[in-house]
Amino acid sequence: MESLKRVVYECPFVPAEWIGAHGLRPSRIMPRARRGGGIEGLCAYARAFGDQLAKSDAAAVIVTTVCDPLRRLPELPGVDEGPPLFLFNVPATWQSRGAQELYLEELRRLGRFLVELGGTCPSDEVLAGVMLDYDEGRARLRDARGRLSGRAFAEAIARFHRDGVLDLEESEEREVPGGVPLALVGGPLLAEHLELFDLVEAHGGHIALDATETGERGLPAPFDRRALRQAPLLELAGAYFGSIPSAFRRPNSELYRWLRERMSERGIAGILFKRYVWCDLWNAESERMREWAEVPLLAVDTHDQGLDPSFASRVQALLEVLR
Amino acid sequence: MRTDPARITLEAWDGRYESLRAAGLEEPAYGGPLRRHVEDGDLRLPHLLYDNSPASLRLWNFLLTEEDRLREARARGAKLVGTMKDLGTVPVLAYSLPEVVAFYPDGAWWIPCVMELSAGLLEVADSLGIDDSFCPVRAMLGAFLTEAHFPIPDLLSCSVGAVCDDFSAIAQRLNGLGFPIHWWEAPRRRSPDRGEESVHLPGGFVAPRSQVRFLEGELSRIRGALEELAGRPLENQELRAGIAAANRVRGILAELRELVFRTPRCPLPALEMLIAEMLAIHFCSDREESILVLEELLGEARRRVEAGVGVLPEGAVRLFFVNPVADLRVMNLLEECGGRVCGTEYLFSHALDAIPEDCPPMEALARMALADPMIGPASDRAERIVADMESFGAEALLISRIPGASHCATEGLVIAEHVEGKLGVPILEIEVPPISDPVEARLRTRIEALVELVRARRSEG
Repeated sequence: MESLKRVVYECPFVPAEWIGAHGLRPSRIMPRARRGGGIEGLCAYARAFGDQLAKSDAAAVIVTTVCDPLRRLPELPGVDEGPPLFLFNVPATWQSRGAQELYLEELRRLGRFLVELGGTCPSDEVLAGVMLDYDEGRARLRDARGRLSGRAFAEAIARFHRDGVLDLEESEEREVPGGVPLALVGGPLLAEHLELFDLVEAHGGHIALDATETGERGLPAPFDRRALRQAPLLELAGAYFGSIPSAFRRPNSELYRWLRERMSERGIAGILFKRYVWCDLWNAESERMREWAEVPLLAVDTHDQGLDPSFASRVQALLEVLR
Repeated sequence: MRTDPARITLEAWDGRYESLRAAGLEEPAYGGPLRRHVEDGDLRLPHLLYDNSPASLRLWNFLLTEEDRLREARARGAKLVGTMKDLGTVPVLAYSLPEVVAFYPDGAWWIPCVMELSAGLLEVADSLGIDDSFCPVRAMLGAFLTEAHFPIPDLLSCSVGAVCDDFSAIAQRLNGLGFPIHWWEAPRRRSPDRGEESVHLPGGFVAPRSQVRFLEGELSRIRGALEELAGRPLENQELRAGIAAANRVRGILAELRELVFRTPRCPLPALEMLIAEMLAIHFCSDREESILVLEELLGEARRRVEAGVGVLPEGAVRLFFVNPVADLRVMNLLEECGGRVCGTEYLFSHALDAIPEDCPPMEALARMALADPMIGPASDRAERIVADMESFGAEALLISRIPGASHCATEGLVIAEHVEGKLGVPILEIEVPPISDPVEARLRTRIEALVELVRARRSEG
């Protein structure tokens, strides 16, 4: 696997299986925060990913259209000096057949790009096999959730996405914390934000639901095995496009439905709403979610340097209220 | 009664109006002195300079009475459609049904400016968590909730996908407050892949045929919703007539732009031209009247050009203007600094291009929608700006950054780099809040510096 050409991306709507089935190595990364100045009006996450585009040693990078800043990243000065880039159009609407077909067509277009990159157009059997492997990996991840600390679970997901590796055995030895169960809601995390899980635990809580883009919310639904055998690409498109809830989708009612089910199931006592300054799509949800939620919601801003300095004391205050 | 063209204050308009009336000025039903709009709360008007022609008076009155027009339309039984984040596509469909009136709720973004923040719309948006990190279009939320600026439409459509995040997020917030929305997807326009069937779009872009087909499907869904609202099908013949009428508006505007941007002595001010161009998007809620308003304005411009008179001194620096300004006053300001507008890209150049009439009407609308400069790469938009700047002889580029707008974080950078590389002209990026008074001195200094730089270049030959 190490010798295969690496294709880097960050978005949950890009199926690793499709890249893997082409004989390339999918690597969904969690960018590290970009230090220093940047472009005014661009969120820390887009800055961080944009920084890695130009520097990446990958064979190719996939960027998606899920938000305006990411959609525009490929045009920024210097980005064209990096590896070849594919801009994947993920429709915001999802209820129409046209939107579903557009997503499927984008997968086919991505497939042609991967072939040009040196990949091989996969047969249905090959694709189905790769899909089964990933599906089993995700099932193991989901099963491990209750046995891992919030951070260990987030790291296991990140590792699985980045390298296709499950290192659950080591993680299983860690102690699962108790304390007030919180949901962490928001867009994708930067690597530095993993510290957030520790901070919550240090103050008597734990993240029982990682509903960030990089957490379990970004995992597609399990495949329908019969459909997978009959028409694997259709099933792949359906699982990714049809099941991952997100703020950018229109309407984004599925995000709230998904959250309600899991919050109820896990007895979530409060919401930690993590947002980036300048991220319109998530920032607009914070007040709406506060009105919707039946539990307290604490909105915290994150910047280029990782967590806001006041983060710890604000989390502590929230947990004191909830205990 | 003819007077030399000039930019005059509202106070001067009071006297001018009386003189025109005394001389037998005939006005449409929405006519009257501009002053009355101030009494209705449009507090920015006394701080603006206006063209002094009757055509301009009609244009302003047409613009400032849209709310009355919408309420009258509802009263007579017309169905109202709010076409959000839609710069000129769905209104063409809607106005093809005589029983439907479309308007542009996003236009509320100018209310904080026109009413000098007195309407409290931004505070309503704040209370909903849509703060000033968002574009001033957030005022629209307040307009919906207060119901004080336009009637709540019978149907709302909104384009999403490759649009700015601000609007998409605000529209979702509106939807979450219980306003049903018909979403339609604007895919990110891309270049055709090798061997892929392609289509030429209005404005000169080329796109894959598959994207045009996709948009035809999206617009067909909206057409279905409009037909349901109207209670009858929209015939293709009616749609063709609707496209022809929209093209009439665009044709007048094209001629107006040619006259105003090319003539050595500028015949019409930048502010009135901005408003005139805006009519292309949604016809200010009355398509037929918008044609008459624009025809009169064009007639005035022609007369001035033939007479060799204008509103600005000859030699004013020829600026190309990018993005609409949140504060209308800035259009006056750039002229006070010695500039004039010679070319614009207010985010809706596709609404100024003729809609194709040589293909099936839904395909024509899809092609037009796909030509939206916002949904493609900024380099496409920059390429068009370069072509228009060359065509109109613009000497400098003025990019107006919209506060908080997601596309403005990087777009200005890309456009500036592209234009600099192709034309080597001076470029200035400014940011204009809804009321620019607190930053006016700084804006003035920067625009004056741009103007002086161009003049220095002229003298260097």
